[in-house]
Amino acid sequence: MKIQVNKGGKKGRGLAPYIILSPYLLHLLLFVLFPIVFSVVLAFHKWNIISPMEYVGLDNIQRLFQDRLFWKSVLNTLKFLIVHIPLQIVIALALAYFLNEKILMRGFFRATFFLPVVISGVVVTMVWQQLYGLETGLLNRALIALHLPRVEWLSNPYMAMISIAVMATWKNVGLYVILFLTGLQTVPRSYYEAAEVEGASAWQQFRYITLPAINPTLFMVAVLSTIGGFSLFIEPYIMTDGGPLNSTLSAMLYIYKQAFGYYQMGYSATLGLFFALLIMSVVAVQKLVIEKES
Amino acid sequence: MLPPTITKNYIVGLIAIAGLLWACTGGGRKEAHLIEYWSSNNGGEIQFSKWAVERWKQQHPGKPVKYQPVPEGQSSEEIIMAAVVAGTTPDIYSNLWQGLVEFYSRSGVLVALDTLNGFMEYIHERCDSATVAEITSSDGHIYQVPWKINPIMTIYNKQLLRQTGLDEMPAAYSDYLRAARSFRKDTDSDGYVDQWFGNTSVKLAWYQRLFNFYALYLAASGGMPLVKDGRANFNNEHAVEVFRFLQELYRENYFSKQVESAGQDLFIAGRFASKWTGPWEIEYLEKFKRPGFEYDFAPMPVPDGHQGPVFTYCDPKNIVVFNTCKNPQAAFDFIRSMTDPEADLHFLRTTRQLPRRKDLDNWPGFKDFFAGNPQMSAFARQARYVRGADNSEALIEVFDIISQEYEACVLYQTKTPERAVADAERAVNVLLRSKE
Repeated sequence: MKIQVNKGGKKGRGLAPYIILSPYLLHLLLFVLFPIVFSVVLAFHKWNIISPMEYVGLDNIQRLFQDRLFWKSVLNTLKFLIVHIPLQIVIALALAYFLNEKILMRGFFRATFFLPVVISGVVVTMVWQQLYGLETGLLNRALIALHLPRVEWLSNPYMAMISIAVMATWKNVGLYVILFLTGLQTVPRSYYEAAEVEGASAWQQFRYITLPAINPTLFMVAVLSTIGGFSLFIEPYIMTDGGPLNSTLSAMLYIYKQAFGYYQMGYSATLGLFFALLIMSVVAVQKLVIEKES
Repeated sequence: MLPPTITKNYIVGLIAIAGLLWACTGGGRKEAHLIEYWSSNNGGEIQFSKWAVERWKQQHPGKPVKYQPVPEGQSSEEIIMAAVVAGTTPDIYSNLWQGLVEFYSRSGVLVALDTLNGFMEYIHERCDSATVAEITSSDGHIYQVPWKINPIMTIYNKQLLRQTGLDEMPAAYSDYLRAARSFRKDTDSDGYVDQWFGNTSVKLAWYQRLFNFYALYLAASGGMPLVKDGRANFNNEHAVEVFRFLQELYRENYFSKQVESAGQDLFIAGRFASKWTGPWEIEYLEKFKRPGFEYDFAPMPVPDGHQGPVFTYCDPKNIVVFNTCKNPQAAFDFIRSMTDPEADLHFLRTTRQLPRRKDLDNWPGFKDFFAGNPQMSAFARQARYVRGADNSEALIEVFDIISQEYEACVLYQTKTPERAVADAERAVNVLLRSKE
């Protein structure tokens, strides 16, 4: 296909750009824009997929504000984020810092830390479920062998979400290590050399050179792990089904149950839209804070 | 976490399945006289269905039936839902959980079978009046043919039970708890119990309650429904007693809270003396048990002083005709053929699942089968006293509510049985009112 590009601009390009873009535009239209518009329509209806839609006005929104279990699920998700995001950022940054140095078998370590990212989330979750097993789990068997008390990793309401956060961190940290590593490699070596000449300590170098230099990466990691954290689903779905006592019921799991457990498409669309607004607000605040810090 | 969103994936999946189903069924074009039949996709049922279709073809060469197992998917329920959405349902489907029939019938996608010629005579010949009442929908019509059941009973390790001085499984709660107390042990002295009297799922998923709470509730109550006349019907002494019994099993560590073990089957390994299960366990045990492993079945335990037969849940899967069927009468004729006594006997032999037929253990052909399969005969005797699922379009949500209270009361003891049952009743009534 011949594409004519004029100096003057748009005229003369014809349909070619649109044809090239059409697969993506079609995907965008079918699987992004249409679902968003359809969700907004659904939010004002009651629909179980197979019966005709019934207009219910603001009933779904009213129900959302009275639904204590939904708010508990939002709170659970926030608890998960509080553990997961700092843990993930600190570990990923530390590992990236370590892997940025000239150490033995650096390539091997880089690949190894990335490996959990490419393993299916379901597989990882099922393996960790066995590790966390109360009576036959490897972690508890090890604790008992060391004459230490065993831990109710997934059956204690206070412990279960922390256990899930640790597992999710293990699964995803490799991706953020790579991102931080990329960020670290963009910092010119001469900055550190100059700082050393001036007598700056290792911490001062990190605080005043590294951290500001990788700020865009830090922002990206914070945003990605926040959005990823808000999407918490597979881990509680497979490991705990939201228990014990709803302590691991994440907002996404709750929305999923409403939609595909009870076929309450209208209400789940309302919850989904509300949750999307919440994520956007949190990311906006994050952006403001990180920009202010830098 | 959810990459990128499960909702998007699910809808894409549903659309893809629906599209595939549409394409596979010839884009919705179907010959008017052709009956399309889907069964479940387990090996035994595929074998039986092929046999039933072949027999039908030989007997009725002018009435073609096209057979296929339900297409592969995450679950058959998901596939059927996708087919309903796409309008590509088969004429006949033979594996619908009874608890979902009301949902589909209220949505108008099922044929009212009682409007077909000969159906009522057929159903009364096949089923007793209690079963007919159980499958009659709230609008007074019948949308399903009771087909197969797997009653839930107690399986126990006979050698381990003898350690408690008993030869047979205790029936009453107090005897059961006494045996459980004497059996529970810390065999390796590490400070933790590692030998339990029983095990049942501690997962929160609604359907897990069918195999513990609901089976025990039916046993205790003599088969009372959970939902009646659009209201919760379970805030009674039976439900409270069941919750109290289960609560004690977990509080005293007589039952294990282990979710599952990938390494070994803890029942075969002798760590649990018993569990609540269905006849599918027989084939599995015969395949994997250790030499000398002895087991037997007993009815579900009941409260002290219980009178009358011991009911249980039977996990019923039924046959339905979808409204996409162009000739429901012909579909019913085929259903009648695939559920006649000869076909039921063949089904029993092929699948080791029980046909839902009255006086199952008294039919001549069946007697020979059960004589040669004594383990199965325990389930056949139990089949006289079974219940399926209530007719409520919100049944899954009802069980979800009960599951929440079960977890709080039974597993974590944060509520009394009375409070848990009352809270469940209140929540179920709110739910059912919202469906009116």
